[in-house]
Amino acid sequence: MKRLAAGLALVLVLASAGAVRAEDLVSTVSNPNIAITSNFDGETLSLFGNVEPDSGQAAKGPYDVIIVITGPSVDRVARLKTNNFGLWVNTEQVEFNPFPTYFHVLSNNPLLKITDEQTLEANRILPEAQARVSAVPQSLHVERFGAELVRLMSAKGLFGQNELGVKFLSPTAYVAQLTLPGDITNGLFITQTYLFKGGKLLAKRGDSFAVNKTGFERFLFTSSRDQPLLYGLTCVLLAVGTGWLGGVIFKR
Amino acid sequence: MQIYLPIAALSMNLFFLVGIGAAVGFLSGLFGVGGGFLLTPLLIFSGVPAAVAVSSVTGQVAAASTSGALSYWRRGTIDLHLATYLILSSIIGVFFGVATFSALRAAGQLDLVISLAYLIVLGSVGTIMMNEAVRALLKRRAGIVMREKLPSQHTWIHGLPMRIRFKKSKLYISVLPVLAIGVVIGFLGSLLGIGGGFIVVPALVYLLRVPGNIVVGTTLLQMLAMMSATIILQSVQSQTVDIMLAFCLMVGGTIGAQFGASAGQYLRGEQLRFLLAALVLAVAIRFALTLVLPPADPFSMAVVGIGGIL
Repeated sequence: MKRLAAGLALVLVLASAGAVRAEDLVSTVSNPNIAITSNFDGETLSLFGNVEPDSGQAAKGPYDVIIVITGPSVDRVARLKTNNFGLWVNTEQVEFNPFPTYFHVLSNNPLLKITDEQTLEANRILPEAQARVSAVPQSLHVERFGAELVRLMSAKGLFGQNELGVKFLSPTAYVAQLTLPGDITNGLFITQTYLFKGGKLLAKRGDSFAVNKTGFERFLFTSSRDQPLLYGLTCVLLAVGTGWLGGVIFKR
Repeated sequence: MQIYLPIAALSMNLFFLVGIGAAVGFLSGLFGVGGGFLLTPLLIFSGVPAAVAVSSVTGQVAAASTSGALSYWRRGTIDLHLATYLILSSIIGVFFGVATFSALRAAGQLDLVISLAYLIVLGSVGTIMMNEAVRALLKRRAGIVMREKLPSQHTWIHGLPMRIRFKKSKLYISVLPVLAIGVVIGFLGSLLGIGGGFIVVPALVYLLRVPGNIVVGTTLLQMLAMMSATIILQSVQSQTVDIMLAFCLMVGGTIGAQFGASAGQYLRGEQLRFLLAALVLAVAIRFALTLVLPPADPFSMAVVGIGGIL
């Protein structure tokens, strides 16, 4: 709650300051550096913003806000099992490269009520659009595999859409809450905020926050990637040590 | 209590992991086998990615064979000369096994090959063991006294060139079959996450006539070296060894094995072999089902390139 208050204060400061051209947007993230331990249950993050009115005029709503949160990308494949001579085998795959490890869309209204499909598509607001642009090769199955990949990611809570995720506190100030799952990827997360009025895109603004995993498990993971030989030798020593200790204790 | 496995990238219950380690350790102590062929499938069936299960169980097998090899070492029943040949050839097999593992993983066919290989290996070994155990049980029931068959006659294997004298085993045999056994078991062991004792011991006894008192200790030492090489190679090449998972399994396995070994004294040999055969066949059938039954979700996903993941 402290963070929320601090963020709101910041928004108000930002809102009162600044020379403004057309209707613009100010926004911020409650916590730009998120340090999580491996076994946490999810971190809640707040995103705030305020609509800056046209110079001299009062801000006139109603406004709509869409926030797209994108995590770091990796190369991912979607695979399909089919039945071949009685055995279920992975036969087809489509590679998506790069594909975000996290993608959430928050808005204050259903997306199609805010604007039309072309605008959503052009700004890559829908998760399916992510799949469409990153698929290699651009084959016939991209649509189907992309949709399935989005489904699989959504099932893990890594992709999602919340059409009630953004709340307006006043006609111009909004807040959104985001809960990050425990198995998110380390790295820089981009939050892109889109301001709409009457279906027209007025302003765009990008912010970011960094997710940093800490703790012993994280240390093990980085060791296995940065020092694989040392990591392997440690495993062997651990195994021999445990086995030896067991042999000594139980006098087999 | 949940514990996060950094390489498998999932949280599992600590007691569950130590528990299955102990259960399999108990069975391995009871039957005198490594337990990898039970532990790897159990982990796969509980949701651990097959690649991580295979590589991490290797650690547990290394730990189990250490305590075993140690006690045979103290009794002086290890043929070091024979073990050296087996170790060197099995490490060559491990190189091929780990390379195959990585290639299959990249192609998205690792799970399929592991399931198929387990089905074939366990299915055939289980059938042979079951056949033999049932016969022995029936004969015992019929009152026929079984004499331990001591194979003394020579086979074609004993006519091969490059013969070497293994003093401790009182053998003068060709190294070629020894090296062949080593390479094959190194390949299978690293690919499937098994120590392969249930293949090597019969091979050494029936094919090479290695004496029964020498064979177990020698195999355990070979297994320890082979599994250590596998851990290091898998860590470097496929980076799928989960040290956390391996450690939980080791602790459980080491404890469980002690109780299994003492429980084994109350069961007769044929009964033990019958039970083990039934267990091996059950695992094989379970793999057959995953291959034949339609999957709950025909689609799956995997990360194939590291773009700074985690």
